[in-house]
Amino acid sequence: MNYPVWYLPETGGGILIAVIAVVHVFISHFAVGGGLYLVLTERKGLKENDAGILAFTKGHAKFFMLVTMVFGGITGVGIWFIISLVQPAATSMLIHTFVYGWASEWVWFLVEIVALIIYFYTFGKMDNRTHQMIGWIYFAAAWLSLFLINGIIDFMLTPGAWVDSQGFWIGFFNPSFWPSLFFRSFFSFMLAGLYAFLTSAFLKDPRLKANMTRYSGKWALISLLLMLPCGYWYLSVLPEPARMLVEGQSPTIQIAGQYGLYALIITFVLVLLLTVVRPALNNKLIAVLTMIPAFILLGSFEWTREAARRPYVLNQIMYSNGVTIAQADALQGQSFLAPAKWASIHEATNQNLTLAGAEIFKFQCYACHTIGGINNDILPKTASMDFPAMTGYLLNVIHKRPYMPPFLGNKLEAMALAAYLVGDLHDKEVDPALITASTDMGQKLYNDNCVGCHGIDIIQDWAAELTLVEIIAGLESLSELNEMMTDFSGTLQEKQLLAGYLKSVVTPPSSPVIDGKSVYDQNCVGCHGKDIIVAWAAGQTESAVSASLAKLGLLNPMMAGLSLNDQERLAMAAWLSAEQTGGK
Amino acid sequence: MLSMLPAPDSIPTSWGYFQFFLLLTFPLHLLFMNALLGSSVLAIAAHLQASQKSKALAYELAKVIPLLIALAVNFGVAPFLFLQVLYGQHIYVSSILMGLFWIMIIPTLIVAYYATYWYDFKFITLGRNGVWVLSFALLCFLGIGFLLSNNMTLMLHPEAWGAYLSNASGTLLNTQDVTLWPRYLHFMVGGTAAGGLFVALYGRFLARKDASLGAYASAIGMKLFLTLTVVQIAIGTWFLLALPKAQMLLFMGRNGLATLCFVVALLLIAITLFAAFKQKVYLAATLLAGLVYLMVFMRDFVRRGYLEEYFSPEMLKVVPEYSPLIFFIVTLVVGLSLILWMLRMAFTPLLK
Repeated sequence: MNYPVWYLPETGGGILIAVIAVVHVFISHFAVGGGLYLVLTERKGLKENDAGILAFTKGHAKFFMLVTMVFGGITGVGIWFIISLVQPAATSMLIHTFVYGWASEWVWFLVEIVALIIYFYTFGKMDNRTHQMIGWIYFAAAWLSLFLINGIIDFMLTPGAWVDSQGFWIGFFNPSFWPSLFFRSFFSFMLAGLYAFLTSAFLKDPRLKANMTRYSGKWALISLLLMLPCGYWYLSVLPEPARMLVEGQSPTIQIAGQYGLYALIITFVLVLLLTVVRPALNNKLIAVLTMIPAFILLGSFEWTREAARRPYVLNQIMYSNGVTIAQADALQGQSFLAPAKWASIHEATNQNLTLAGAEIFKFQCYACHTIGGINNDILPKTASMDFPAMTGYLLNVIHKRPYMPPFLGNKLEAMALAAYLVGDLHDKEVDPALITASTDMGQKLYNDNCVGCHGIDIIQDWAAELTLVEIIAGLESLSELNEMMTDFSGTLQEKQLLAGYLKSVVTPPSSPVIDGKSVYDQNCVGCHGKDIIVAWAAGQTESAVSASLAKLGLLNPMMAGLSLNDQERLAMAAWLSAEQTGGK
Repeated sequence: MLSMLPAPDSIPTSWGYFQFFLLLTFPLHLLFMNALLGSSVLAIAAHLQASQKSKALAYELAKVIPLLIALAVNFGVAPFLFLQVLYGQHIYVSSILMGLFWIMIIPTLIVAYYATYWYDFKFITLGRNGVWVLSFALLCFLGIGFLLSNNMTLMLHPEAWGAYLSNASGTLLNTQDVTLWPRYLHFMVGGTAAGGLFVALYGRFLARKDASLGAYASAIGMKLFLTLTVVQIAIGTWFLLALPKAQMLLFMGRNGLATLCFVVALLLIAITLFAAFKQKVYLAATLLAGLVYLMVFMRDFVRRGYLEEYFSPEMLKVVPEYSPLIFFIVTLVVGLSLILWMLRMAFTPLLK
C-alpha cells in the first residue's frame, strides 16, 4: 500500500521471482561447493602428479567460471531486481535493516570475481602453492557470501526475537540460521559433485573418466547423507505455525514435499549407480539427468521455505501484500482505499463497486493470486461463490484461514472486491441491495418512518416470530395493528429492505434462527462445492454431522481455524440432511 | 503528486556514511563501464581493419572485455545498494513504473556477457563473424545504459508518476524528460571516450610483450579519447542547458561547492586533453579518474536539486546501530587486502 504494484494479472510477480530465484540458487550453491571441489581436485592432481586430473580441473574451472560468474552472478542481481519490483516494501525493509550485511556480501562477491579470474587464467602458469591459495580464497569468499545471504534469507522465515527487539545481529543469527547454513553448505558440496559428473562425461580417456566420475560421486554421496540430518534440524527449529504448514496444513507444501522426496530418492539412486555400481555408465545425458532431480529437490526446498511463512513475506512482520501487521491493525474496519497512495480510486461507492474492487484486488490479492495464470489462479477458487457468499467470505472466513492475510477495508470495500470477483471475473449478478439493503438502507427507512414513535425493542417483539413475508404483510397493514399508524406506503423494494432490517435486528448472528445454507455460504463455500459436503454427510445422523463439524481440524488441519457455534452446527447439519433428501 | 511518495524506512547509521560509500563506489562502476564501452568499440573497429596487428589488438581486447563486465556489474551493485538505502522510496517506484524494461536488463546482460566470452574463446574460428557477435553485445550494453538513464531520471520526477494510474504494467519510460537524451549521450559518448584512454593504458601493458602492438593500441585509444571528448564537450553543454534552470544555476554560483566542482572539472578537462595530446597516458588516465569523481559529485548536486521539494536523505530517521558498520569496514579491509595480494601474485610474473 506504500508502493505501486507492477500489475501483470495473468502472470503474477510470484512466478517471476520463483523462476529467477530457483535458477540462481541452483547455480550459486554450485559456486560455493564447486570452489572447494576445484581446490581439492587440483590438490589431488598435484599429489598424484596426474596431468590428466590437472587438465580436467582446468577444464572444469572454465566451465565453472562460465556458469557461475555469468549466469550465477547476473541472476543474483536479477533476484534483487525482481524482488524490488514485486515486493518493494519487503525489499526496502531487508535492505535498510541489513544494509551492512549486504555491503559485506558485496565485498566477498568482488573477492570471488577477482580470485576466480586469477585462478582460471593462471592455471598451470603460477607456482602450485600460490595457485592453491587463490583457490582457497575463492572458496572462502564464496562460502562467506552464502553465510551472509543465509542470515538474511532465514530472517524472512524465522525473525525470532527480532520482532520484539529490532537489531541487526538478533535478526541475522535467527533461529534457522545454523541449520540452514549447514544444510545449504552440504547441498552445495553435493551439487559440486553432480556438476562434475558433467565435466567428467566430456573426458575422452575412459580410465580418467571413470576415475573422476567415481571421485565426484563420492562428493555427492557423502554430502547428500550429511544434508539429511541438517534438513531435519532445520524443520525442528521452525516456529509452530510454519511447522504446521510444512507438516500438512498447506496443500502446496505437501505437493512440494512429495516432489522433494522423490527427487531425493532418484538423486540418491543415480549417484549410487555412478559411484558404486558403474562409473563407466556416465555420459552427457546421464550427467544432465542426474542434475534434474537435484534441481527439483532444491526447488521444493526453496518453495517450502517460501510457502511456510504464509501469509507473510516477512514472517510476523509484513503480509505478502506488503502491508505490515502494524498497518493492518491500524486499518481494522477503516477504509483501505482512502489512504492507499497508489490506488486510482479512494472511495468505494455503489456506483463504482467493480472498479474499486479491481483496485483492491490489485493491492491486496494480486501478491499471491493471478487471474487465469499458472500460479494460484483466483478464477477456480471463486467460481462457486455468489455475491453475498463472496462478501461474507471476505468479511468472515478469510480471517480464519491460516495462510491468508486478513481482508482490509470497510464493508463497502468488501462488497466492492466481491463485486469485482463475482461480477467482473465470473459475470454473475451483483446486487448491492442484497447486502447494503438489510442494514444501511433498511435502517434509513426505519429511521425515517418508525423511530419517531417506536424504540426498536417494541418492533423486535412484534417481528420476532414472523417471517419476512409476514413482516411485509404487516407493514402493508399497520393501521390494523394500531389505528394511529398509517400503512407503510413504500415500494416493494423498500418494504423488503425495511423488513430485512427489522429481521436483521431481531436476528443477531448468535440467534437460534440460523439457516444452514447461510452458514455454508459464510464458512465453507470458499473451498468446497456443496456436493462434496452433502456427500460427506450422507449416511450420518444430524447429531453425528454436528459433532464432526465441531472438530473440523481433525478432518483436515487446514480447517483447524474454523469454529462454528452449536446453533450454526445444528443448522448446518439440518440443512445438509435436507439437501440429501432433495429438500431445500 | 507528493501523496504518492512512499514513506521511507529508517537507517542504522547517519546518512553521511551511505552518501560517502555511494559517491566512493559509483565512479568505479563508471570507470569499468567506460573501459568496457571503449574496449568494445575499439575491438570492433580494429577487427574490421585488414592488418594482422589490428586483428591481434582485437583479440587482446576480446580477452579483457568479459572481465570488465564482471567488474562493472560488481561495482554497480555497491552504489545501487547505497542508492536504495538513501533514495529507496524513489528508486523502487521508478523501477516498478518501468518494471518490464527494468527486468529485461538481466536476460539482456546474460546474453551479451556470453556473447563476449564467445567472441573471446572462439575468436579464431569466428573470424570476421566475430564483429557481429561483439557488435551485438555492444548494442546490448548501449540498451542497458539507456534503461539505466531512464530509471535514474524517472526516480527524480515524482510529478510524472501519476502516469502509473493509467498504466500499471511496467512499460513506462521517462522519454518526455528533455534531459534524458543529452544525459544518456553524455554517459555513452563520454564513457566511450574514457574507454579509449583505458585502451591506451592497456596498450602500455601490452607493450611489455609486443612493443609495436602496444604502441598501436595506445595510439588508437588516444585518438578515440581525443575525438570523442570534443564531441562530448558539445553534448555536455547541451546537457547543462537542458537542465531546469534551478539545477543549472547550482553550478553558476547558486551553490558554492557545486560551482567549485564545475570549475575544477572544466580545468581538469583542459589539462587532461593537453596530457592526452602530449601522449602522456598515465597522467591523462589519472586525471580522468579524478574527473569522473567530480562529475559524479556534480550529478549528486543535480539529484538533490531535483528532489529538494520532496525529500532529502537528511530527513531519514536514524535508529542507531553502529556495530554492523564496523563489521562492514573490517570485511572491506580484509577483502581488499586479499585482492591486493592476489593481484600482486598474478601480475608480478607478468610485469617482470
